[in-house]
Amino acid sequence: MTHELLNGLSSAEMDQVLGLGARLTVPSGTSLFHLGDPADRLFLTERGRIRLTLPMQVRGKEEEILVEERSPGQIVGWSALIPPYRFTLTATAPLETEVIALPRETLVDYFAAHPAAGYKIALNLAVVIGHRLHLFQTMWLREMQRNVEARSA
Amino acid sequence: MEMFLMCLCISVFGLGVAAAAFGTATRSESPDSAVKPELPLVKAVAPAHFFSDHVAAPPPVPPVVQPWQVPIEVLLLQLENHVRLEQAAAESFVEFPTYALLHSKTTSRFMN
Repeated sequence: MTHELLNGLSSAEMDQVLGLGARLTVPSGTSLFHLGDPADRLFLTERGRIRLTLPMQVRGKEEEILVEERSPGQIVGWSALIPPYRFTLTATAPLETEVIALPRETLVDYFAAHPAAGYKIALNLAVVIGHRLHLFQTMWLREMQRNVEARSA
Repeated sequence: MEMFLMCLCISVFGLGVAAAAFGTATRSESPDSAVKPELPLVKAVAPAHFFSDHVAAPPPVPPVVQPWQVPIEVLLLQLENHVRLEQAAAESFVEFPTYALLHSKTTSRFMN
């Protein structure tokens, strides 16, 4: 399994980083974290799937609306490495899912001790965050375009 | 003589009345008759068919379903599908950014 966060690391570095974490099994339908929770761990998806949702009012009722889905190899919860360290989405497993939970403090200590590996991980994180930024920027513009067309019609 | 003439007149008169009555009884109906009875129209009986010759009227157009009429489960599914389609469209744009891909039309039921 190749994790997007660990791209470019040597096998030894990968083992070291993965050794910092704890393997968790998230039962189907269970939340990994909720919007607004303190983000002190980030997660590497090993098996299954994670739905990232945001609450939305639908007919006067709060509903969790899918924003993104994460598959094996992808990272979940990078808010753990970015201030103010609060989750900005809710993560739920639609089926039994396995993740590796990496505590922030342990990771930061490892980066301090292994700056070369820390640099590669920081770059990988930038790729993940940048990709999401591009996607949501595009989605936002498409919605805006539709709003403009609806108002001009 | 007087009796004979009287009988003759009565006979001729009787013959005339009988002829008139006969003529009336045997006279055919004139098509231009001013007074016609109102007869009910009898529909022609259609030949028997297994399937009707009648061309079926087009099915009634379903009324436009307003968003608030859609069950909430369906609405949520449409929303989710919309998000997936938009993500896919955004992925395509990010892979190869062009104006056409940025503004490609969506097939999302949520928007159409």
